[in-house]
Amino acid sequence: MSRFYYYLILVNMVSNIIASVPVILLYFHKEGAISSMILSVVVGTIIITVYTRFFNNFPGMTLPELLQKTTAKWFYNPFIFLLGILWFIAGMITLITFSFLLIRYLTPETPITQISLVLTISVIFGCLMKTNRVLYTIEIILILTFPLIFYIYLAAYSSKNLRWDFVKDAVLYFNQLPSFYAFSASFFLFLGVANMFIFNRFFTIKQKFGLKQIVFIMVTSTFALSTTYFIPIGFNGFEHIKDFIYPWISTSDSIRMKYFIIERVLFIFLLFYLGIAFLSILIHWHVSIEFFKFVFHLEKIKWKGVKIGIFLPLPFFIGISTYFVKRLDEYQLVRLSGIFYNSLSILFPLMIILFLFIKRRMKYAKNNEQN
Amino acid sequence: MQKTTNKTRVFILLILSMLTLLSGCEFKDIDKVTFISMIGIDQSDNSDKPFKVTVKLYVPTSSFKQSPKPQYAYLTENGETLSEAIRLLETHSDKKLDFGHAKLVIIGEELLKANKEKEILDLLIRRPDIQLISWVAIGRPNAEEIIKMVPKSETAAYPAIFNYFDDNGTESPYSVSTFLFDFRRRMVESGIDAILPIIEMEQEESQFKINKAYILADGKKPHELSSHNTMLYNLLSMNIDIGDLIVNEEGHSFIAKIDTIKSKYKVKVQNDNQVRLDLDIKLFGYVSESKQSMQTKSLPKYNQLLEAEAKKSITDFFTEMLEAGYDPLGFGLKYKATTLPNQRMSMEEWQDAYKNAEINLNITSGLKSTGTIQ
Repeated sequence: MSRFYYYLILVNMVSNIIASVPVILLYFHKEGAISSMILSVVVGTIIITVYTRFFNNFPGMTLPELLQKTTAKWFYNPFIFLLGILWFIAGMITLITFSFLLIRYLTPETPITQISLVLTISVIFGCLMKTNRVLYTIEIILILTFPLIFYIYLAAYSSKNLRWDFVKDAVLYFNQLPSFYAFSASFFLFLGVANMFIFNRFFTIKQKFGLKQIVFIMVTSTFALSTTYFIPIGFNGFEHIKDFIYPWISTSDSIRMKYFIIERVLFIFLLFYLGIAFLSILIHWHVSIEFFKFVFHLEKIKWKGVKIGIFLPLPFFIGISTYFVKRLDEYQLVRLSGIFYNSLSILFPLMIILFLFIKRRMKYAKNNEQN
Repeated sequence: MQKTTNKTRVFILLILSMLTLLSGCEFKDIDKVTFISMIGIDQSDNSDKPFKVTVKLYVPTSSFKQSPKPQYAYLTENGETLSEAIRLLETHSDKKLDFGHAKLVIIGEELLKANKEKEILDLLIRRPDIQLISWVAIGRPNAEEIIKMVPKSETAAYPAIFNYFDDNGTESPYSVSTFLFDFRRRMVESGIDAILPIIEMEQEESQFKINKAYILADGKKPHELSSHNTMLYNLLSMNIDIGDLIVNEEGHSFIAKIDTIKSKYKVKVQNDNQVRLDLDIKLFGYVSESKQSMQTKSLPKYNQLLEAEAKKSITDFFTEMLEAGYDPLGFGLKYKATTLPNQRMSMEEWQDAYKNAEINLNITSGLKSTGTIQ
């Protein structure tokens, strides 16, 4: 596969740490978090394989284009509108979570509206870029931030303050029945592939996606999931790990790099995760704007001869996310994320049925063309 | 062509207007902030306001040449709660107090005896600006005096007392160092008990002395470890690899300097909840002092002597720990890490079982040298 494909998947796997995924997983630490994680690795890998194989069949075509060719208007317009809202919420959750983090740890004196506005404005113009440029942005930022984030992971794993006994204690709860909340939270790590709905536009050449690639994704995701779940436990204990509002932030504050520029890893962690959060919001909102563009034919809207259509969603994006940043509290945010992850883990496996349908119709259309 | 230049102009104007946003992110300027280097929490004489908080502030100077001597300011305030005391402290200072650089929290011994450590821990963890990698220690006789003492060896900008804890300056096998997050996990988790170093001071020489420790366990009185036992704890927990064992047996008396230790602990549960602790300890090192002349060819003999001595010391240490039911090495946790949740005994049962545990100590010593002379 092209390396850009892996970036899309990787961003979701890395960025989950600052979303509510660890909170939800650690909440179910005695009620089946481990089995849910194992289940999600299996289901997630299947989803990734099916999605990638499907889009590989139609190089360069986005989901809206495929739907337009194969389904009726009454179906695809509301459906794509719904997808647009989903992607908007995904970006918004990351935005709100990160604004909360910044105000709690980095800039306690700044008003929260200002923090979220600065983030929103820097992201929002990126969302309007062409799809291939978004991918190039992703590449640059990932290259800048990922090595250090990976280094923090390694520092965490090799720290002598990581007590493996806590981790072993946690592992021994593997025999509980999986819980739906924990499953959908860990399933979210695998949904980076869904961005192919739009980003497939970039992949105009048929890609190779075989066993080697599947195994690679499976190994990476297992590593990402176990890091998300076990590192906080190793540093902060098992029985009372639920107490933490931001388990990973507290964990990064527990890592000490004696000979590094900054001893307190927390600040480096926040700064570099700012880059990852930016990417996550950028990808999700880019996809969302593309969906809305398709539904409302935004490119065609003109005012005094100037194309203003594509700017129309922006006030809504900024307004709604600012409203929710001010409105929500930490508990509601976790609840909202939980419900959101749950709805995704129902919707995305069901999407496979739609794919089968599209595939049949496309074959039929192709045959018709040939005749 | 005309069109693009117009576009560029609009773009530049937009960017310029954004510059006004850069006026500041309402960050407090650095000259409006004072940084706290350590926090001390004591019991006050006033029973209405039981907490006495003392903070040590760095006094900013423009250059090192101007003040080669360390300079600090101190603030002290009593309060009904810790937050109240801190709020009142802020009224003493014209600048904002920044707790983000505090690297050491000292708790007065009296507060510890009054079992207030949980209250203190809650505030320290709950405040996002206090580092989880700050060290926690016990001040004897109280935290205030420790904080206010500046030893002669202190250089500007880095309090000497930090050197005892970050394995960067002195690395003594007699001093324990505990991070705040480590303190918390040991306090709240069952199966492992917290251990905190005791900072004492020698007034005349104005030096600190950190070679004892307290073990804190739920519902028990804090237990003081002697210097020797603190060293043994450090060796056994593999916090630090160095240690001295004095061997005084069969007419031989020498000091073995341990430089590497490898230990493996296992918890075996037999029938009727009888617990056996399997300790497999390997000591490596050389002889650093001897009253008699030594023979390199009789190193195996010295090894035997060291094994016997280590066995005695370590058995004494464990007997002391087991009798009182303190578990600083985390055998309870080890037990939980190797037993399925539904097959575990309850924590109360474990406490009893631990107290009556049988110790199976196996020591291998590997003295490789008698030092530079025989």
